[in-house]
Amino acid sequence: MNIYDIIFYIFALATVGSAFMVVTTRNIVHAAFYLLLTFFGVTGIYVLLTADFVAIVQLVVYVGGILILLIFGVMLTNKITNVQIKTGSLQLFPAAIGVGLFAGILVSALLNTEWKTAAGEAPKTTLNGLGFLLMNEYIIVFEVLGVLLLVALVGAASIARK
Amino acid sequence: MLHVGLNHFLIVSSLLFCLGIFGVVTRRNAVMVLMGIELILNAANINFIAFARYGNFGLQGQIIALFVIVLAAAEAAIALAIVLNIYKIFSTVNVDEIDTLKD
Amino acid sequence: MELNINYILNSLSSMLPEITITLTLALIVTVDLFLGNNKKLLPYIAIAGMFVAGYFVIEQFGMNGFASVPVGGKGMLVVDSFGAYFKLLILFASIIVVLFSLSSKEIIENSDRHGEYYTLIFGMILGMFLMVSASDLILLYLAIELVSLSSYVLAGFAKNTMRNAEASLKYIIYGGVSSGIMLFGISIIFGITGSTNLYEINSLIQAPQFQGLVGLLAGILIFVGIGYKISAAPFHFWTPDVYEGAPITITAYLSIASKAAGFALLIRFIKITFIDSVDLQGYWTLVNVIDWQSFIILISILTMTLGNFSALWQNNLKRMLAYSSIAHAGYILLGIAVLSNQGIIAVLIYFAIYAFMNLGAFFIVMLISNKTGGEDMDDYDGLGYTSPLLGVSLTIFLVSLTGLPPTAGFIGKLYLFLALVDAKMIVVAIIALLNSVVSLYYYIRVLKHIYLARPDSTTVSIIPNVGNTILLLVLLLPIIIFGVYFSPLAELAKSSIALFGF
Repeated sequence: MNIYDIIFYIFALATVGSAFMVVTTRNIVHAAFYLLLTFFGVTGIYVLLTADFVAIVQLVVYVGGILILLIFGVMLTNKITNVQIKTGSLQLFPAAIGVGLFAGILVSALLNTEWKTAAGEAPKTTLNGLGFLLMNEYIIVFEVLGVLLLVALVGAASIARK
Repeated sequence: MLHVGLNHFLIVSSLLFCLGIFGVVTRRNAVMVLMGIELILNAANINFIAFARYGNFGLQGQIIALFVIVLAAAEAAIALAIVLNIYKIFSTVNVDEIDTLKD
Repeated sequence: MELNINYILNSLSSMLPEITITLTLALIVTVDLFLGNNKKLLPYIAIAGMFVAGYFVIEQFGMNGFASVPVGGKGMLVVDSFGAYFKLLILFASIIVVLFSLSSKEIIENSDRHGEYYTLIFGMILGMFLMVSASDLILLYLAIELVSLSSYVLAGFAKNTMRNAEASLKYIIYGGVSSGIMLFGISIIFGITGSTNLYEINSLIQAPQFQGLVGLLAGILIFVGIGYKISAAPFHFWTPDVYEGAPITITAYLSIASKAAGFALLIRFIKITFIDSVDLQGYWTLVNVIDWQSFIILISILTMTLGNFSALWQNNLKRMLAYSSIAHAGYILLGIAVLSNQGIIAVLIYFAIYAFMNLGAFFIVMLISNKTGGEDMDDYDGLGYTSPLLGVSLTIFLVSLTGLPPTAGFIGKLYLFLALVDAKMIVVAIIALLNSVVSLYYYIRVLKHIYLARPDSTTVSIIPNVGNTILLLVLLLPIIIFGVYFSPLAELAKSSIALFGF
């Protein structure tokens, strides 16, 4: 075991463990904070996979944006003063069995597949290449994403305004 | 086995995916369901980046992950707006209590 | 690496419909800012934009190729007759829905937010255009999300009513989950092949590692996302609630345009990704990854049976039409399950006819709910006597939805069953036929209310104005005409099955 492996296990444990807490804890505010830990763990995993820019974006957008949105959602939809922030669950037991079965199938299927692997040098810098991809091969996706963000803006405003 | 390879990342991502599904199925609170959806999207992103890294597919995997992050943000914004609107009308965000529409 | 400007510029000429739609979207957002409280101009801008886009779409018939090809890669967007056919269908439905919106009470009451309404409709159109013509899984996923995000908001457009708000919540929760599952499936395919391009995947999946459990898993996960869009069982549970809760113009739109785009996507995904060869009779041989034929037959029988039997005891006409649209999705899936060019022709014909009859039925439901504020079956008591025009038209639409001659609905079903029989899928054809018989019962039930029940105090007399009468006839006459004279439609469908590549 070298240092890379140890760091991986720490992040993997943080990710999966906190994700488990997100879906099982009964307190919705706790869930939001565990989600923070999950996002951090995923960021670490991105760094280990040499995806530095994606890791930064993950931090900025997920932790800085989406999580804040979710916490606002929690605050605005729960009567904090009445300490009614507990949240219930449905069909816990059958769901656990079903998802557990599915997880078994999924993991065994993924592990028993010969993936296309090829040894390759990790790129020294990703930002340059990402920029070129964005403006060349993925230009259509880039443009469509622009429209999508505009539509999301208009849509969210349409619901939220008077 | 101890040495980290593609399979380790795949196990993390599939566990994250299944936990997300579990959260979506069992949670009553709409905001909690949204958290489950975020877990699912993160799991897919780990897959994309891990496959691209170990299969040497270039930067494609990373750029797809970026697109997904943007999408997740847009979806979360709309979802939260809808949830707040629901709360204004129904005074609850528990999905099983919001059922005026039924057979 | 260097930026290749020519590649971007060359692609512009084959993306004119999409560009027109995007520009109109931007125009509506901008004009909306200056209009103040009077938004009457917006629908006309919208319709004008749709007609211009329609002109460019018609130009695309007969074209065959990538809209754009990057250096050393495969394109993300294709231009072919198949895509053009569906784009035309989507535009037709869009124009009709905008015309509906002009007289829909639910929409008029929220006239201060008309800017958003038309912007989001154009967002949906752009997404659906990409759904029918994208050849890259990431762009497909993005297109589905674009359509979904717009329709989540539109389903709750009259946001202060309970059922609108509930519809949009249910829509976004189920939609978010199923598209997330689809994305996970795409990531697995990316892992096996190293590509998200359908054409590249097709040439790579012959390799043995794709043919294990993992290929099956990826295919099913992706089908979850598509099945959600076409409301195939068991991913249909959102449909009745959302269709009943959403404003009726949007319900009509979702049940036709968004469903058509989903089916086009499914056909392109299966054919381009998994095809091995096409024989002289037009039957496809698929790569042995997933047994698509059995899978789709199973889904389709489940879908039509669930749809038809649930529709039997509905008292809300909108909800009944929602279940009926699930059942129709089941019939259309059979056309795909045949896995032949003949089946695709049947699907194309069915969709064109389905657009007319379903839009027409929703139009009448809308006119009546404008007066009564609901869609209860009892509101239709004696409609045939108080408003003969509406009564007769609704009768024709419903008879056509059942698939009885001499209406166009019969022709749609006929082509479908012929394709099934030709592929020697007799048992499946009989099941579908029995399902049609079941559907007869709930359609007839409406007719009973219209003609056999006495008009009571809740029945309203409605005389549509000139514009609405013309619109009604535009939807009604083709149902009758195509019922007896359908060869032009069949010819158009035959010439539109060309997917680029195969």
